[in-house]
Amino acid sequence: MNKRRPNPKQVPDPDEPLWRSTLRVAMPLNLSYVPIGLACGILLHAAGFNTLLTGLVSLLIFSGGAQFLIATMLTINSPLLSIVLMLFFLELRYALLSSSLSPYLKGQSNRFLFIFAVSLNDENYAINYLKFATDKKWTGKEALMVEHYSLLFWAVSNVIGSLVGSALKIDLGVVNFALTALFLYMIVMQIKNRLTILICLFSGVFAALCMMLTKSTLGLVISTLIASLLGFLLETTLKKHLPDSHWLWKLRSPGAKKSVVENTEDN
Amino acid sequence: MNWNSTQHFWLIILGFFVAFIPRFFPLMLFTKRQIPEWFNEWMKFIPVSLFTALVVKDIFIDSESYQFIISKYSEMLAAVIVIVVAYRTRSMVISVVVGLISVFLLSMVIA
Repeated sequence: MNKRRPNPKQVPDPDEPLWRSTLRVAMPLNLSYVPIGLACGILLHAAGFNTLLTGLVSLLIFSGGAQFLIATMLTINSPLLSIVLMLFFLELRYALLSSSLSPYLKGQSNRFLFIFAVSLNDENYAINYLKFATDKKWTGKEALMVEHYSLLFWAVSNVIGSLVGSALKIDLGVVNFALTALFLYMIVMQIKNRLTILICLFSGVFAALCMMLTKSTLGLVISTLIASLLGFLLETTLKKHLPDSHWLWKLRSPGAKKSVVENTEDN
Repeated sequence: MNWNSTQHFWLIILGFFVAFIPRFFPLMLFTKRQIPEWFNEWMKFIPVSLFTALVVKDIFIDSESYQFIISKYSEMLAAVIVIVVAYRTRSMVISVVVGLISVFLLSMVIA
């Protein structure tokens, strides 16, 4: 143990002010928001949004997916109501995010919950959920700070994107992969046992099917609900009847070489 | 229809409500009441299921037609790289940066 080199990331300085320690947690997300926010601002500008409204939409809706959807639908001249309806399907998944965070926010005031809900989105949820689950000292206050840091970076990048307009060319496909990579990282962090891997595979296949059938992001919500319910039911049944089932074996964390993820390039 | 800034403004306001309602009400409801343990056990599977669904949407679903596509080879390869890197390093920064670099380089090679 004592041979391990000290890692400043894993040994937090107890005197570090709160704003700085939460900023450090939020920083990877903040930085990936910069190119995506720029791209989003550029697209909104191209769709006819002025800079003030671009700032407003980033603050009030604060969702990359929703803002890209608005920009796309405006450029094809969709009617207002159909955009709002698509937004509704897209944003419905937040009900799942906030339900799953609720055990960690018990006892908070209504005012706090209101402010927390306004700036909740997929990415800062991902970070906060991981912190809540692994760090006992992580409270609503810290989580809200992470939300606000990400909101700040997102809104400022959007406004700058809107100002530079088409002067800057950004490959959206490449930039958007930052978020895909963030979610992939989160999935890897969530894998606890073989059952979770099974649920992942099921969720992936089922999500593709549901989105093809519903032709909208409503499929995301349906598949997430069913996949998580299946995971819960399987885990409960296994724990009750087959507590020694290998599906429930804990996976070793990365240091340990003998792991379930079959990688052949083990050194 | 031709949009002006006033209509954009109303779009934002309506968008705010459809974004805010699903964020707020479950939080309000489930933090105030006594929630049975099974509900929390179920909710534990939400993140992993949702993130997988989002990744599948990014890589395998066409964003306009919602058809299943297997043409984003550079994203697929980069995703595998990110999984390995995330598993080995457990670092978010390294995973995201390596992911961006690999998708950028791969998309130049594979096109």
